[in-house]
Amino acid sequence: MISNFIPGLIMIIASFLLPIIPQYFRHPAMLLSVGLSALSLFNGYGTFLEWDILGLNLILYQSDSLTLPFAIIFHIAAILVIIFSWHSKNLMEHMATLAYAGSAIGALHAGDFFSLFIWWEATALTSVFIVFAGNTNAAKDAAMRYLIIQVSSGVLLLIGACLMLYQTGNHNLAVLDLKTNFGIFIFIAFGIKAAFPLLNGWLQDSYPESSVTGTVALSAFTTKLAIYALARTFPGTDSLIWIGAIMTAFPVFFAVIENDLRRVLSFSLNNQLGFMVVGIGIGTELSLNGTVAHAFVHIIYKALLFMSMGAVLYRAGTTKASELGGLYKYMPFTTIFCIIGAMSISAFPLFSGFVAKSLIMSSLGGMGMVLIYFILFFASAGVLEHSGIKIPYFAFFAHERKNKVKEAPINMLIAMGIAAFLCIAIGVFPKYLYQILPYAVEYQPYTLDHVISQLQLLVFAIIAFLFLVKFKLYPSEIRSTVLNTDWFYRKMLPGIGKPLFKKIGLLTDSLYKNLGLSFKQVLSKSYKFSNLSYIKVTTPSFAGTILISILFIMLVIVLV
Amino acid sequence: MKKNDLKSMGKSFTKYILIIGALLILLDFTFHRHEYFSFAEIYGFPAFFGFVSFVFIVMLGKWLRKFLMRKEDYYDQ
Repeated sequence: MISNFIPGLIMIIASFLLPIIPQYFRHPAMLLSVGLSALSLFNGYGTFLEWDILGLNLILYQSDSLTLPFAIIFHIAAILVIIFSWHSKNLMEHMATLAYAGSAIGALHAGDFFSLFIWWEATALTSVFIVFAGNTNAAKDAAMRYLIIQVSSGVLLLIGACLMLYQTGNHNLAVLDLKTNFGIFIFIAFGIKAAFPLLNGWLQDSYPESSVTGTVALSAFTTKLAIYALARTFPGTDSLIWIGAIMTAFPVFFAVIENDLRRVLSFSLNNQLGFMVVGIGIGTELSLNGTVAHAFVHIIYKALLFMSMGAVLYRAGTTKASELGGLYKYMPFTTIFCIIGAMSISAFPLFSGFVAKSLIMSSLGGMGMVLIYFILFFASAGVLEHSGIKIPYFAFFAHERKNKVKEAPINMLIAMGIAAFLCIAIGVFPKYLYQILPYAVEYQPYTLDHVISQLQLLVFAIIAFLFLVKFKLYPSEIRSTVLNTDWFYRKMLPGIGKPLFKKIGLLTDSLYKNLGLSFKQVLSKSYKFSNLSYIKVTTPSFAGTILISILFIMLVIVLV
Repeated sequence: MKKNDLKSMGKSFTKYILIIGALLILLDFTFHRHEYFSFAEIYGFPAFFGFVSFVFIVMLGKWLRKFLMRKEDYYDQ
């Protein structure tokens, strides 16, 4: 029976049962539901559940070599999040997190666009409560904006799916291109969730507003689900190479000047997605393997970095770089775990980022794409800047701290410890990761050329940092807001819209006023006219008016 | 003593990083580093590229502050 059960669905059912489970058993119950859902990983490949409804065949549960690595890492991420939030008693957030992870896992196994749409919206509706759980006014506003954008993405997906069904008679997940109109709708729907350039504002807007534990859950699922969907439907789409390259380069500059370290990580997340999108755009077996491998390791080290900043927020009360520093003395374990995450994302040899990013870089090099190759190489220096150096440096070092804080709670340390262990284990033994990738490709990341080249890049970028700090050229942290693409709908559109609607309002008001006045005049004249003794017109009743108009319309139709 | 902790850590960190950097450049002379693009095989190219990229990113970011930086309560106004 369990083999036909949609993976992730059991987690959603469990999330609804959480309120009747006593506080102490909630987290074990959550872990149990993830464990039961993870049994589906052993089912092998194939189509397991279909449903005929309204003449449509929905493929609710299918699995293949692309689904499996994402399903594995989504289950791992769910477990990490649950352990990390063990101390928390926020029932709403637990329910939302479990249902959100379940929806994302369900979405991976959808075999057609309509089933995907259902899960696509389910991830939006569940995750918005996680943003809400930030429990500040800023979080509530951000949650509403987040919801509007996520649902818009779903609506675009639905329009694309309907158009596709109408035009081709098929709605199964298949490789699409941008020559069809439904292809474009679906592409943009995926692009919103994958935080393409200009469509990325929601990510940096909402993730940093979420709670200590919420951001960890958010960072894992939505964007990587979009990467999975793009890899399934748009592999080898050339425009993705450029979109991805822009995504790797641009957020880097924003991350340099952002003060909130969780927002820095959100920019960094955007930049990492760029590497994956480039891999999809190249569309070779090696590059798609690179994308999947990168998504896999990225979820772990990004969760680790968000967990370390979550721990800092939990203990120090803020993640603003301008107010942090010197925490290494009080939070030594968190510091070490954060540095492991930072080294992984920066792709130091023997850490997980290295073995994944190499696949994408090699496929670019092999194709002779020199410009994109160096944009990504440049962006690698950028990753080191914002995630490798800025995050650990400003949180844990920078300057001595005056007031004491406690080390993170034990459950947080365990979750961070597991993630850190995985980062190093995958970096040292990459063959286990390579075994679960969609295509069987022989690849050796640890060649002397490659290791030396990467180490030179990273070490001299660190020397550049030390040089800039020494000569006081490194920008100091300032409490500020950095404008991002959400500015367009948070400031520009209201800026134009509000005065415009005010003017239109005034205009329509005066129009109504004048209309009313002239109407009164006409009325009084007609009243006088009708009262003239030689022409007594009886005013027709409402029903009479309708009848006369119908007769008139019929007359017109007959005449035509 | 306490005040100097970070400073001395920074100093020794700088020392080790510089030594590692020098070793990496020296290593480049001991073997031919194969790259996908021939100009990247010049001695110390990744090191140079890393250093320049980093400085460029930080400097351009700093300059962008002029256009992108607002007060902390910018969106609340």
